[in-house]
Amino acid sequence: MAETRLHRLSIGLLAIIAVLAVGSMILVVRTDGQWGLVLLWAAVIAGTHSLSVPTPSGKRINLAIGPAVSAVLLLPDVLAVMAAVALGLVGGWVVLQWRSKTDRDADSDYVAESISMIAFGLVASIMLGGVAGSNIPFAWQQLLSVTAGAVVWFVLRALVSAWVGTEREDLASRYLWLLALEDWTVALTIFTGGALFGMTWFVMGLWAFAVAILPYAFSHLAFVRYTSTRITYGQMIRALAQIPEVADLAPRGHSARTADLAVAVAREIGLHPVEVTDLEYAALMHDVGRITLTEPAILKAGYTDEDIARWGAQIIAEAPYLQEVSEYVRVQHNPYRRPGEAKDPDVPMISKIIKVASAYDQAVHEMQMSPLESLERIHRGSAYDFDPDVSSSLRRVLVQRGVVAA
Amino acid sequence: MSRAAVQRQQRAMIQLAAGYGALGVVILALLFWLPWQTFPDLRLWIPFAAAFVYFEWQTVEVNDRLFASPSIMVLLTAAVVFGPESAVLGTAAIAAIGLLTPADISERQWFQPAANFGQLIASAAAATAVLALFLRVGVQPDVSGLVLWRIAVGSALASIVYGFVNYRMVLFAVSRVYGRLEVRPWSHIAAILLPMTGMGFLGGMLGATYLRIGTAALPLIAVVFFVGYMAFESYARLREAQESTIRGFIKALEAKDLYTRGHTERVARFSEMIGKQMGFDGTQLERLRWAALIHDVGKLAVPRDLIRKRARLTDEEYEIMQLHVHYVEDLLEDVDFLRPMVEIAANHHAHYDGNGYHGAGHEHGETPSKEACILAVADTFDAITSTRSYRVALTQPYAYAELRRHAGTQFDPEVVEAFIAGMENSGHRYGSSVELTEEEARYLAEEGLDQIRNADQVHGRNFPLAPMSKETPDG
Repeated sequence: MAETRLHRLSIGLLAIIAVLAVGSMILVVRTDGQWGLVLLWAAVIAGTHSLSVPTPSGKRINLAIGPAVSAVLLLPDVLAVMAAVALGLVGGWVVLQWRSKTDRDADSDYVAESISMIAFGLVASIMLGGVAGSNIPFAWQQLLSVTAGAVVWFVLRALVSAWVGTEREDLASRYLWLLALEDWTVALTIFTGGALFGMTWFVMGLWAFAVAILPYAFSHLAFVRYTSTRITYGQMIRALAQIPEVADLAPRGHSARTADLAVAVAREIGLHPVEVTDLEYAALMHDVGRITLTEPAILKAGYTDEDIARWGAQIIAEAPYLQEVSEYVRVQHNPYRRPGEAKDPDVPMISKIIKVASAYDQAVHEMQMSPLESLERIHRGSAYDFDPDVSSSLRRVLVQRGVVAA
Repeated sequence: MSRAAVQRQQRAMIQLAAGYGALGVVILALLFWLPWQTFPDLRLWIPFAAAFVYFEWQTVEVNDRLFASPSIMVLLTAAVVFGPESAVLGTAAIAAIGLLTPADISERQWFQPAANFGQLIASAAAATAVLALFLRVGVQPDVSGLVLWRIAVGSALASIVYGFVNYRMVLFAVSRVYGRLEVRPWSHIAAILLPMTGMGFLGGMLGATYLRIGTAALPLIAVVFFVGYMAFESYARLREAQESTIRGFIKALEAKDLYTRGHTERVARFSEMIGKQMGFDGTQLERLRWAALIHDVGKLAVPRDLIRKRARLTDEEYEIMQLHVHYVEDLLEDVDFLRPMVEIAANHHAHYDGNGYHGAGHEHGETPSKEACILAVADTFDAITSTRSYRVALTQPYAYAELRRHAGTQFDPEVVEAFIAGMENSGHRYGSSVELTEEEARYLAEEGLDQIRNADQVHGRNFPLAPMSKETPDG
């Protein structure tokens, strides 16, 4: 759905949550006197809603689930929990508007986050009430209930964000779903902090803060550094891939453009996020073998595209963590099918995507063809050179980008 | 290194391994036989021991002062969970089984595990003894439950003791075997001890959580241990991947040229050695290593025939050669974390007195940064002592003399002396093993070093056509 429809959806959802908040708050005030505590937790949830931690998938998770877990354990009943969570979500939205932290993901994040948080509150506190009479030790009752709620929260969050994201930007839902699941370590850390606080507050008093916050702080540090290292790793590969271009041995910008297009195609097809990263590196470095052309003897003897791919693969293979990337680069020119052979050769999807993206970019930027002509050229090669699945995905990406008319 | 020195070092290692190993055995035996301690419940002991062994086996190293090993956290959680009556014996026994790692076994290393054995047991026993005393002294026997602030302060103190005993024992071992005492400044020790204390404190508090809420705390404790560790580990691995990627690239590219093969690795090693000699800390050393790794990246884009040219370079060609300094900047300017390193690398041809050619962030006439001076010395030494297309390798004493002769003008005198001291200490030999004749030495002294460096134009003279010394010893 378009951005505006998504925005309308998030406003509608907000209205429902606001009604829920006001209704349950009225009931809380009428039934017992714990409304002060409910307000306190609502404030904490609203405050943490605007704090987030970067995750391995490159997105962010906001911290509100942590206090929500504590709230389930420390508030008396379902009603109080729902009031705190709903009020907190409304407050969180207000804080976001006020700090005007509304980037293009704001609406979809808010929809995914609020639906899953409310589901968490319901499941966890209803289950906590349900097991209350059983002979399971109290601490285990607490732990089991919030764990069940957290599983629901995590799965629902991944599902909703995959759905909303697919509707918005033509990415495969499989890709988005896997992307959201990548973040389980971060989610588990935030959840554990909340659970530790909720379970220890009554027995350890203020020390509960240390028990809950310190482990999270250590992990937070690691997550933040992981994310920044991942960014610089990408930057470094981008830089190394440019050596042939700086030396005027390859056309400027070709590898960066190829990588950009290849990543878009891979996401559209729905490759696993880990594979998409490998693809990005492989596409950036697919021409790195051209550095070898600084050697005059090789220039004199002549070379083929396959030679360049092989030399590039040899260079990349020196890095122990890039063995697979090196293999993708090595077979990048292989046709997906060979004339006269019954069985298709086993070319990895990543290499097939690079082949298509690189050929398209070459047609547009070196042969001065129009996008439509270039696309036609790719489609004409679909018998055995270019995988038709990849070329039709390329067409969809180009249509989506407005380069080619639908 | 001479054979006598090697034998002396091996004897010291054997003595040390035996001594530390025996110390560990004695401590364990005393704890078993003295009535002071009982062995903890095995159902609790085994999970903690498994977690500890896992962390010891999976050690990933990162030059990052903010991350300490999680082992101390596991030990202190276990100590609090076991209670003061079993804490010391229980944790010493855990430490005892963490000694052999799979890597040690496959490489048939025995010195390291034996020394580790004693070291771990002594540190763990000392730390948990402090904790146990802190929990016990002045507490009425009939007070049920442990006072939380005692656990908090006790575990923080215990982790300091752990770090201190560990550090002293490593220091002693190093001074016995290598005969030098690398006393680190207090700020370095504090930088290591501080996160360790945080970890230890957290470990103690997690133990307290178990005492208060029972077995339901165990899954949560496990999550804290393992997910925290996983986050840290994936960060460490990524850093490793990053460094190995650039190393691999450079290696692959240098391999094509007989004369520059291994140059970058050696310069990185020399630079790190100088940095250590000058008391750099982990972060600074890492920066230096990275700067050395990238210092010649730009050269990879220079046509090979220019680098290999046997005749004097024309002015135009010399210009192209010098451009490589700026290629580094063009290529790597977008890599955020490399920015300080790029500046160092770009200035490795700048002279101490402000002359020479240099890259961005550096004015003519300005003294380059200490790191750039280090890189300059390391780079020059390797250039002199390795064979180039236009001449054979020269000798190490000659390289020393050259460095000293230009100290104060081209090179930072402090760096030159640190380099020579470090090199002599390591006992490694580089370059030709044949001395120069008097005439050749005089020629070099007259013509000066600038001609030797890079596309140095000394080629064409009758240089000592001595065989290269065999493969340079790898450190």
